Amino acid sequence: MPVFRWGHAWDAFQDLEREVDQLLQGVNLSLHGVRSTRRFPLINLIEKTDHFLFTAELPGADIKDLEVTSADGRLMIKGVRRAPEEARDDTFRRQERFQGNWQRTIQLPDRVEEDGLRAEYSAGVLRITLKKAPSSIARNIPVTEGSE
Amino acid sequence: MSGSNEVSIRLSVDDSVAAVSGSPSEMTDEQRLLFNPPIDIYETPDGLVLYADLPGVTSEGLDLQVQDNRLTLFGRIQQRDSDQGAVVHEEYKVGDFLRSFILSDEVDHDRISARLNNGVLRVELPRAVRSQPRTIKVVTD
Repeated sequence: MPVFRWGHAWDAFQDLEREVDQLLQGVNLSLHGVRSTRRFPLINLIEKTDHFLFTAELPGADIKDLEVTSADGRLMIKGVRRAPEEARDDTFRRQERFQGNWQRTIQLPDRVEEDGLRAEYSAGVLRITLKKAPSSIARNIPVTEGSE
Repeated sequence: MSGSNEVSIRLSVDDSVAAVSGSPSEMTDEQRLLFNPPIDIYETPDGLVLYADLPGVTSEGLDLQVQDNRLTLFGRIQQRDSDQGAVVHEEYKVGDFLRSFILSDEVDHDRISARLNNGVLRVELPRAVRSQPRTIKVVTD
């Protein structure tokens, strides 16, 4: 029995899309109210000589719900963005902003100091500085000429 | 180009096709990115409430204007030099935010108020209070 039938090609596409969406949603824990296809929050990671800087666009976060953990070379941030007080099911005219539980994890390319993590949150941006473990900082190894 | 210091920005009207939130839509003369911030609009008994995600925008960088029936919000970001470095993972670019809306006549333009907190802008758009019906006294001769 053919899966794709040419006469109903678009339906098949939609079915496939739905299947893939469901698969992806199983991976992404933040489900509720997702309207855009992007994840929340969006994150960046840049590397400097002796530390990493992790940033996340996280407007409206409640610090007391925010969890930041670093273990096994991975950084994980987790939180919840509740619906605003005006939100009741029948009152929105437009809803584009993410709502609900969210979680992001990123693999760090180098080892970081367990105690060298500093996080700050201002203007809706979360900034986490992670100091590299001393062994991860590239060091120039002096080469001495051997004597024959 | 015009050669002046004018920054050319194309306004996006809300009733056009909704852009995917966060996608850059315009490059200005200064090579700054411009984004459509995602918004929520809720209806309350008193009017409308609008929320906009403007991460990185503080009150100094926020410009909120009502002209004729159009509400325009513009959030300017301060680029941080400390954010430069070798990119390991990049999901977003830093840019300014711009979005505008057509307001209906029922919004009382004079009483629009706004608050910015942790990168979230909340704008209250109260409904104009309808004038009370005036009873006309009828005198009989």
